[in-house]
Amino acid sequence: MMFSALTLAAALGAAASDEASLTVQVEGLETPQGAVMMALFDAPDAWDGGEAVAGQRVAVDGESVTIEFGALPAGEYAIRMFHDVDGDGELDMNLMGIPSEPFGFSNNARGRFGPASWEDAVFTLAPGENTHALDLR
Amino acid sequence: MGLEPNRRHMLTLLAAAGGAASLPGLAFARESADPVYTAFEAARERDPWTLGFADAPAEGFDTVARRLHGRLPDGLSGVLHRNGPARFSRDEWRYRHWFDGDGLVHGWRLTPGEDVTHHARFVQTPKWRAEEAAGRFLMPTFGSNPPNSQGMRGPDDMNAANTSVIVINGELMALWEGGSAWQLDADTLESRGPRNWGEGLGGLPFSAHPKVDPDGTVWNFGQAPAQDALVLWQIGADGQLRRAEMVGDVPGGMIHDFAVTERSLVFLVGNLRWQTPRLPYLDSFRWDDSRAMRVIAIDKADWSQRRSWDLPPGFLFHVGGAWEDRDGTIHVDAALSEDSRMATDGARDVMRGTPRPESDGISRMRKITLYPGGRFEQAEFTDCLAEFPQVDPRFIGLPRRYTWHVGWQRQQLRGATRIVRRDLVSGETRGFDFGEDIAVEEPLFIPAHAGATEGEGWLVHTALNKRERATELHIFNAAHVEDGPQASWRLPYACPFGFHGCWRPV
Repeated sequence: MMFSALTLAAALGAAASDEASLTVQVEGLETPQGAVMMALFDAPDAWDGGEAVAGQRVAVDGESVTIEFGALPAGEYAIRMFHDVDGDGELDMNLMGIPSEPFGFSNNARGRFGPASWEDAVFTLAPGENTHALDLR
Repeated sequence: MGLEPNRRHMLTLLAAAGGAASLPGLAFARESADPVYTAFEAARERDPWTLGFADAPAEGFDTVARRLHGRLPDGLSGVLHRNGPARFSRDEWRYRHWFDGDGLVHGWRLTPGEDVTHHARFVQTPKWRAEEAAGRFLMPTFGSNPPNSQGMRGPDDMNAANTSVIVINGELMALWEGGSAWQLDADTLESRGPRNWGEGLGGLPFSAHPKVDPDGTVWNFGQAPAQDALVLWQIGADGQLRRAEMVGDVPGGMIHDFAVTERSLVFLVGNLRWQTPRLPYLDSFRWDDSRAMRVIAIDKADWSQRRSWDLPPGFLFHVGGAWEDRDGTIHVDAALSEDSRMATDGARDVMRGTPRPESDGISRMRKITLYPGGRFEQAEFTDCLAEFPQVDPRFIGLPRRYTWHVGWQRQQLRGATRIVRRDLVSGETRGFDFGEDIAVEEPLFIPAHAGATEGEGWLVHTALNKRERATELHIFNAAHVEDGPQASWRLPYACPFGFHGCWRPV
């Protein structure tokens, strides 16, 4: 029994040592309204059309917001986000499908004819606390 | 809030701009002098024609023009606005293509009893502001990808606002063809920002050759070549949007200009066709003469209704005008060439300051008749090479006789020297040749008065005097261009060549 408890504690300890949290500071919000919608991806396949591992919606009432993600395995991630200025929950686009609300990617990466690539947007979450600064200007 | 909506919208974001794969930047540290910059600097030393492709001062221009001869005709009072690329190099690196330069909007103020004045301001696009601050080019452009260029969030990130100008309901706008029209203060030329015509329309392309019906209705289009589509625009004389929609099944050619008739919007889709997204943007297009030059006439009243014609392969920038018979036959004249070398080669060569005969664009005026049922006829006017066709603006879309344009002879590589009036009915031409020292720019027709007959009025145009190293303004009697200019003014400096202008009566 004692042995099991110790083993469990060691296992939990191992898991905890590999766990990461992420604080994303988003600057450059030009309109103090609506919300920032942010999605976190953990693999190139997911980035290119699959599922996000986590998502957050944070209301905007100033020039910046802080968004927290907890309990993530350490590793490689990339962020897509947009400022949902009108608060309708959607990334507004014009007739040609070009976003008309501010959007961005981790590393402040930019695309050429579309979204930024995984290679340009990827960053590493180390075990423990991490911060990432983004600017929508 | 659940994750699902977030995910869905993020996927939508992924699909933005067709989900095209992003391309790696051609970013690398500069190790040696830029060969294009170096070549142009060398050419400047020996060839004053290069003044037309040199950088204008960042603060623009402000001066009084010196009168050379003649006087302002009675009844002519207003401002000639012109636009054109005027900043081509930063940090000793030079654009590869003429069409890349940042737009400089001019105002030549012609006031009875006063001196002619000239002022000009760069359009303060985000691109211009960021690059002024950085001291180097940051954005990919139409025909260039500067070292260590940034990515883009949309076409307006690279908007150069450098192609034309229009006044709609008193509002002056600088026009490009890949993004938003840019609002300017008509008097000061200070920039106000992109024109958003309405919900869902921000950042859409609003091309540089809108057409205005006699009732003031403005028609325009924007290209979406990767989607084989166009955005069509209908704006009221009050400057308010009437309609904007995407229209599909239009071959992804590089479409710069179009024509209107009373019933139709007429697109000539040349054979420089969209292939795949590349940087610079121009490289996304390739010459393809395995297919026809497609002409499409879209019904103004019902954009789902169209007729089309297949013509032999060709290329054009500019259309003169069009009209339509009762039976639906369309007549259109345009400056057409048999290939697109001017766009893909000639406009690159000038950035080095060295024009070459083998990449010269050979455009001539052509009159095309499009009959119902797909039959067509075309006749080429072979007397001279031609560009920048203009018509009496009161006859846009209506039967007419006259087209004015600049002209030159083959092998004459340093700009057009002639102003030509062409009678489409009789075939007669009248022309005035300034000689090789003068490179003439687009001649704009201004009616003498509201009741004037077609062609009764003035031509106003600018020109680079290479011998004097100065830009000039000339006014012709449009009915007798062979008489030469009736009045001329000269600036104390040379401006880079512009593309297109508009007249704002004051």
